[in-house]
Amino acid sequence: MECLTAKDRIIDSVKQVRNDSFADKKHFTEEQIVNSFLDNLLDFKKSLSEKSFKINELNKSLESLTWINENMDDDCLRLINDLIAAMKDYHSTLIRHYVNASILKDKGIAKDEIKEFKNSIDDLKEMFIDFESIYFHLPQIPGFKETSKELSLI
Amino acid sequence: MKVFCLENFKEEFCKLKGKKAYKTLESDIIKYFFHKDIAELNSGTRLNQNAEAPYIKKRINGSGGFRFYFLILLKEENLYLMFVHPKNGPDGSSNITDESKALLLKKVHDSIINGDLLNVEVVDKTLFFKKNEKKEFV
Repeated sequence: MECLTAKDRIIDSVKQVRNDSFADKKHFTEEQIVNSFLDNLLDFKKSLSEKSFKINELNKSLESLTWINENMDDDCLRLINDLIAAMKDYHSTLIRHYVNASILKDKGIAKDEIKEFKNSIDDLKEMFIDFESIYFHLPQIPGFKETSKELSLI
Repeated sequence: MKVFCLENFKEEFCKLKGKKAYKTLESDIIKYFFHKDIAELNSGTRLNQNAEAPYIKKRINGSGGFRFYFLILLKEENLYLMFVHPKNGPDGSSNITDESKALLLKKVHDSIINGDLLNVEVVDKTLFFKKNEKKEFV
């Protein structure tokens, strides 16, 4: 009886090992590895595209601020200054993400999505440079405000 | 709506037009600036805050595309192309200086006062620059 039990246990063990072996063999077939990689890659591409879309929408919304028709008093300019600082901070964070992602780009992975991501980051940078120009630098250039005013009277 | 340009704009356009990297420039200009109401062109980044005549920087053809600087006189329904530069490629630059932006505005102001502008028209999908009724094909 004991011998049979031992036999049964051994048989069970054989079955277990065979099953596990089969399962693992099945899990690690080339197709499974490729599929798992592709799933992750698709998720990565999707999340990067969503991020780029979000940044582009933000850029559009920031651009619309330049069409405010009210005069910018000191309080508004102080807020614009805070906004520029926040844009710069966000840009630094995004550049760090881009550096991490570009390791994959160098290997030819998700090249288009990473390029699109970089373009949206560059647009954000261009936007805060334009904001500094519009609200702090151009008004200080002698004659700029006056020329604008004269053009309005033509 | 009438479209005019500074001599600078024409020079820059001619320089870029011949380059393979910028082959879409002419069609991009025609597509964006022509056959539209002036109100539709009131978009982009306004450089002179709330001034009545908006001085606009417009990104065309995506992030790596072209940057156009132009002025709109809404009452006159006139648009003045002042400058264009590509963002990428052999003649690409990220931006122009604030001094250049101010100088362009002064130039367009003086040119409007002196009537020293080129009229820009589209004929058969091609831009024509006309001065004193004499057409110059480029």
